[in-house]
Amino acid sequence: MKILKFLLIVFFSFLFKNQISFADEAKMIKGLEIFNETAGCAGCHVLKAAASEGNIGPNLDTVEGLSYDSVMDIVTHGLGVMPAFGEDEILTKDEIDIVSFYVANSVGK
Amino acid sequence: MKKKLKNLNLSRRNFLAGTATLAGIAATASVAPITIANANHSEGKKGLPDFISWKDRDALIVHSDKGIETHRSAIGESLVTPNRNIYIRNNMPTMTDKQIGNRMDWKVSIEGVKNPKTFTIAQLQKLGHETMATILQCSGNGRGFFKHKPRGSQWKTGAAACVLWTGVPMKTVVEACGGINGDAVYMTSAGVDHVPTGLDPKKAMIERSVPKKVFKDAMLAWEMNGVPLPNAHGGPLRMVTPGYFGINNVKHLGKVAFTTSESSVKYMKKSYRISPIGKKGSQYPSCWEMPVKSWITRPTDETGTVKAGKVQIVGVAMGGTKKVRSVKVSVDGGSSWKKAKFIGPNLGKYAWRQFVLETTLSSGTYNIASLASNGTDKQPELRMENRRGYAHNGWKDHSVNITVV
Repeated sequence: MKILKFLLIVFFSFLFKNQISFADEAKMIKGLEIFNETAGCAGCHVLKAAASEGNIGPNLDTVEGLSYDSVMDIVTHGLGVMPAFGEDEILTKDEIDIVSFYVANSVGK
Repeated sequence: MKKKLKNLNLSRRNFLAGTATLAGIAATASVAPITIANANHSEGKKGLPDFISWKDRDALIVHSDKGIETHRSAIGESLVTPNRNIYIRNNMPTMTDKQIGNRMDWKVSIEGVKNPKTFTIAQLQKLGHETMATILQCSGNGRGFFKHKPRGSQWKTGAAACVLWTGVPMKTVVEACGGINGDAVYMTSAGVDHVPTGLDPKKAMIERSVPKKVFKDAMLAWEMNGVPLPNAHGGPLRMVTPGYFGINNVKHLGKVAFTTSESSVKYMKKSYRISPIGKKGSQYPSCWEMPVKSWITRPTDETGTVKAGKVQIVGVAMGGTKKVRSVKVSVDGGSSWKKAKFIGPNLGKYAWRQFVLETTLSSGTYNIASLASNGTDKQPELRMENRRGYAHNGWKDHSVNITVV
């Protein structure tokens, strides 16, 4: 009985872990699409993982302390010439969440 | 996953090549992509971007390839900060030699004067020649001390430098144009570094208005610390507005106009406004005059432990638009202060002064602070909280902790 319980826990843990991973992977694919096309981030930023070569804003692979929260903040409110994608409703909240997740998990790769 | 990445990248190349899609993207994001040919950002061998690979990596803190700060201890042991140590803060990509062309043929137009004219640098050099020292300081220098973590580079003390500029006084240029139009209120300087990007000038042009009176001490500079003005610092021609924050010292200068109203571009109307946290708008003050400020450059937490005994505490102090009059130094976190001595040459009210306090320290830990005064204003203890972390001159945050053994 104990063995069965243990196996069930292992099975569900595995399933849960992979569900998250599938969700993350889908988010990364969608994030790349937003980065390169919907929002056009690629036109202004270098990000090796996205093969982007824009040179208006900073090279994202070089930005110190870049995180999901910091990307989300800047994408929402803009900075200098960078549009306020959230405030000006250029992107939806979901799109900002996805592209921030994508950038934070792609820098330096 | 990899396959999909490849596909998306291919489609991205298509969007860069296809004008119809490109226009669509530009409409969505309000920006247009720059051509790859203009890119100058690849990382050089020393860990610095190619366009400033000539700088001293050891003297610099890299916040990003476009935000690079001078270490507190690398401000320089002499008065003038060496070019290789000077910070970089660019809103637009630095123009390349190819984009600039023959430096002597670079043109600047002067408007809002009795006889509007366009001068090449060769012509400006025949008009007049002067050298002056000013402080170049980013409006956000000290942002890294704000607890609410404002967006932008987290500068501590190193987005500042003391620079010797050579060029022609703006006053001489104005005289050559028959004087300023009577109704002008502002001097408005515009850069042309947004042009190669193809971005909307209203959003990307660095055009800054300052009160008209600034022209009396301003300069059109083509040389920086004895060398032709580097492209990375706005070469071949830059407006120098003494006592005013860095953004007003417009790089890659293409036009100076005496105007009745402030520029309406984003960089004047919306950006660089000192507003309370959570608020923004053009009703708030622009980053213009720099306040009185000082900080310790040696010893610091960067320079390691200090040997007990006689210690020279060294720093720099600036008065903003007025001459710095005095500096006091504290080794006990501001409980008591001693007057420091100014050293080195006095290069005028717009340069900083070096100061030194000789003291004796026994083993222990110390909080060292400096407090400057220009006779009218002195540094406050605390920072002035504001949304974007501008104009920080509070002495407490700028203090350093050292260990004496």
